[in-house]
Amino acid sequence: MNSDAPLPQKLTIRNLNFYYGDSLALKNISLPFYAHKVTALIGPSGCGKSTLLRVLNRMYDLYPRQRAEGEVLLDGENILAPQQDLNLLRSRVGMVFQKPTPFPMSIYENIAFGIRLYEKLPKSELDDRVETALKGAALWNEVKDKLHASGLALSGGQQQRLCIARTVAIQPEVILFDEPCSALDPISTAKVEELIDELKDTYTIIIVTHNMQQAARVSEYTAFMYLGDLIEFDVTSRLFTTPERQETQNYITGRFG
Amino acid sequence: MSDSTTTHTVRAYDKELEILGRKIAEMGGIAEKMLADAMDSLANLDTDLARATVSHDPRLDLLQRDIEEQAILTIAKRQPLAVDLREVIATIRISGDLERVGDLAKNIAKRAIKISSEMRIPRAIIGLKSMYETASILLKDVLDAYALRDAERARAVWMRDAELDALEDSVFRDLLTFMMEDPRNISFCTHLLFCSKNIERIGDHSTNIAETVVYLVTGENLPTERPKGRPDMSDFSTTVNA
Repeated sequence: MNSDAPLPQKLTIRNLNFYYGDSLALKNISLPFYAHKVTALIGPSGCGKSTLLRVLNRMYDLYPRQRAEGEVLLDGENILAPQQDLNLLRSRVGMVFQKPTPFPMSIYENIAFGIRLYEKLPKSELDDRVETALKGAALWNEVKDKLHASGLALSGGQQQRLCIARTVAIQPEVILFDEPCSALDPISTAKVEELIDELKDTYTIIIVTHNMQQAARVSEYTAFMYLGDLIEFDVTSRLFTTPERQETQNYITGRFG
Repeated sequence: MSDSTTTHTVRAYDKELEILGRKIAEMGGIAEKMLADAMDSLANLDTDLARATVSHDPRLDLLQRDIEEQAILTIAKRQPLAVDLREVIATIRISGDLERVGDLAKNIAKRAIKISSEMRIPRAIIGLKSMYETASILLKDVLDAYALRDAERARAVWMRDAELDALEDSVFRDLLTFMMEDPRNISFCTHLLFCSKNIERIGDHSTNIAETVVYLVTGENLPTERPKGRPDMSDFSTTVNA
């Protein structure tokens, strides 16, 4: 960073604790997510990175006996507050999952469906939004002639980009990616990575990945977590070449356990 | 610092890094011996030893190529990160420097052969000897610093290279005097001048290696400007004796 001015924080986590029943899964995490930057969360299985992601759009609310303490500020407002409108929150903070999850309907409907949940649009405008979303997810050229074919007929990589299009279509501000490429081949992975690079101009992106090289490639900031603790957070280029903490070093160089 | 007590989950990875390190050590040993032999052959006008020195060079070239190929393969296979990445990059850089040290020593040996019949003033070599002594200590120290992953020791080598520059200056003045005294001295003094330049360059390569070792251990680069020129030696006496 050549400027000393602090970067604007889109999301700010402050002293976050998270419980699955009685067990503490996130321990006093404080972490910034900068606007229009890609932040990667890395760490071994069970370290809490996916849990952290699920807090950011309060996905955990769907399950009983899971609760979060502390603050998660989205543009300065605490989204953990009980009065938070969850539908609104999830329209502002979209999520793409590990396995592509297209709905069993046409490509067009896969995207229009989400938009209709939040907005009533005339047909022509809806068409525009679907097209823009598919273009935004770099899928338009491959599907423009078969918009009414089933989304399930697409390849895995295309399905994942369809899910990204579906997320983009509702015009969120933050996109959470939970291992978006772990079920994809290298070419589809490259396309999704290219897409993430383009999307960051418009969105703030947080990505959980087990693939260290992917984290190094796509992100500007990286947080390393272990057993529910945030061990190190730094600029990606520094964390992957000269990490401060021994635990980070051991993990990223494959010397763990 | 790298935690050498912790091993990689994939043990073949440790093995690969270990082999790279061992080959660097072997190159270092050959380069040191070539430099010592080249200097001996020059001092004693020993053409047999000079020829033997020249014959060691291909081994050094071969090792360098080996290291480079294996390092590239390791990058392709393991995609090393953090200290491992610095380790692999360091072996590539250091092997390049050591290969050059070998070339320079070889060049000194070749000149020893050339001047063996026309050497007129044995004392002309004295200044070169003290240059050699400094250069060989720098090379030895920096190789030790690499083997021990000791950034402080490497930094000391980096600081001391200025001594060699100062010595080169005085050798230059001496040789110039001999050449002015008698034109018959010009030919061998010119060769000796090149030899002093070669030794000075060997010091530069030791400095490069020192920079690489600091990078390897700390992840930081030393400033691009190192102490240069002809310093007041007292500035360096502390590091000299350290």
